[in-house]
Amino acid sequence: MILRYLKLWFSLAKFSLLGEMAFRGNFVVKIVVELLWLGMLLVFNFTIFQQTTQIADWKVNEYLFFIGCYFTMGGLMEMLFLDNCNQFSDLVRTGDLDFFLLKPIDEQFLVSCKHIDWSCAPNILLGLGVMGYAFWLGEWELDFFKAVLLVVLFISGMGLAYGFMLLLMSASIWMMRNQSLFEMWWLFTTLMRYPREIFKGRFAEPTQLFFSFVVPIMLVTNVPARVMVKGLESSWLPWYAIGSALVVLGVSRWVFRAALQRYRSAGS
Amino acid sequence: MPIIEANGLSKTYRVYQKKEGLLGALRGLFSREYKEVKAVEDVRFAIEAGEIVGFLGPNGAGKTTTLKMLAGLIYPTNGTAQVLDHIPWQREDAFRRRFALVMGQKNQLWWDLPAADSFQLHREIYSLPTEQFHRTLGELTELFGVKELTRQSVRELSLGERMKMELIAALLHQPQLLLLDEPTIGLDVVAQVTILKCLRDYNSNRGVTILLTSHYMRDVEALCKRVLVITQGRLVYDGPLTGITDRFGREKLVKLQFDGSECPANLETFGDVTSRQGPTAEIKVDRQRVAAVMAAILDRYTVLDVSIHDPPLEQMIAKVFEQGGVQSPGTPVPGLSPQ
Repeated sequence: MILRYLKLWFSLAKFSLLGEMAFRGNFVVKIVVELLWLGMLLVFNFTIFQQTTQIADWKVNEYLFFIGCYFTMGGLMEMLFLDNCNQFSDLVRTGDLDFFLLKPIDEQFLVSCKHIDWSCAPNILLGLGVMGYAFWLGEWELDFFKAVLLVVLFISGMGLAYGFMLLLMSASIWMMRNQSLFEMWWLFTTLMRYPREIFKGRFAEPTQLFFSFVVPIMLVTNVPARVMVKGLESSWLPWYAIGSALVVLGVSRWVFRAALQRYRSAGS
Repeated sequence: MPIIEANGLSKTYRVYQKKEGLLGALRGLFSREYKEVKAVEDVRFAIEAGEIVGFLGPNGAGKTTTLKMLAGLIYPTNGTAQVLDHIPWQREDAFRRRFALVMGQKNQLWWDLPAADSFQLHREIYSLPTEQFHRTLGELTELFGVKELTRQSVRELSLGERMKMELIAALLHQPQLLLLDEPTIGLDVVAQVTILKCLRDYNSNRGVTILLTSHYMRDVEALCKRVLVITQGRLVYDGPLTGITDRFGREKLVKLQFDGSECPANLETFGDVTSRQGPTAEIKVDRQRVAAVMAAILDRYTVLDVSIHDPPLEQMIAKVFEQGGVQSPGTPVPGLSPQ
């Protein structure tokens, strides 16, 4: 079963790459634009660290690791799921979702993974490079337990982000057009981009608490990055992040399946 | 045991009634009016294995909605259905492996890649053994005459070629049931004829059951012995295609070629003159009066050639659509029973 899905995923990835390569110019421009955007973000953060040695309790190399973590996570989400989720409302509106529902395969898998956006792959490499550079600067200890924990928390962070994306996507079946909900996704990515500790003050702190524990989108990058650079400060937060990822994934799958029951297709 | 059994299938949509103008749109932000539209109502029929059944109806009659319920894409508001021993909208994988739906107006192949790549993906999705896949693909590309085109990008194919590729993709997993929604729409006559011939051959070789909707009577006449007629969501006829002529064709068309360069002037006295050109004319005559009218014409004029035939099926179907009411097979539709 898992092998079948893995093989299918590789086929989808292969055909997506072939599809993108059919328009080489567009593919190259997309890569350049993505890298420029991340490069600007990196320069902006370096500029800030010209004025100060730390932000909240994050030192420059720690913050760099956080940024690398965000680039990698964001790159993976964009490469694997964002395009598919973005197109979902069009599939619903035009009735093209029909073809995905006819196939003898899990609908959520097919809809979420049908297209792999390879132009985001360099973002992941850049993110991994930044993480590696920060790791080299920070000279942190990395034992086996910490490495496994980092991978698990990274995967749970992705699960959490994907779960929220799937929830937003499912709403398309009721709303047909849900551009505003995707604006919400961009808000979420903004929240993923900064360490939780920088949110101080009367309004910022409750916001941080809300987006950490009620809608825990801030935990996506914060938890794996912080465990790496600061060690296990809290014994419950990583578990909370993993638990909430499982809950959000379960709920989003349930909502997606319930939404499919409301699917009306479109006239021919 | 029927392959398809629909029992009282109904589908009602709640449709937003948008008010006119800017003010209407603003009001719609706060309170909305909805109307219940019965797309399909109490549809019942059964289809046996190996049959090719035509599903006819005007636009918006409920054909596609019924087809989509049978394919498990949408849930019915009421009623039940069994398709290949499964409840379609439960969408079990075992069910989805055994049928295919092709929609003439939609494209499921990967647009920028050759059809061969989409077929490969299809193989992965349906977990088809490689050897079986290549054998079936070879047979189908041969049957549809597109062996040389599978490596060409789908967007560069003509509409007819694309439809053939769509049908090949739909048949690769050797479905027992094929649901076709307007498979020849927009195609030229040559492409239509080729596709119809392929479907007929495939049905006779493989015994696949086909339920087909089409606006082209050519499709229906070429493939279907039996038709279902639906109008305003209700099934109004279920029976043999020839039964439509018997039941709804109250008139015959008499085509005459007279001696001389002009038709006689008073042909209207024999029936409804539908065309008149030089020495030839076509008269619509009540079935019961054909013999008497022919005798009268032959008695008065010199006729070089004569042919008597039924009006085009389209016209009769249109009449069924216009005057349709509910009926079970074998029961005449009120007001449409033969004289």
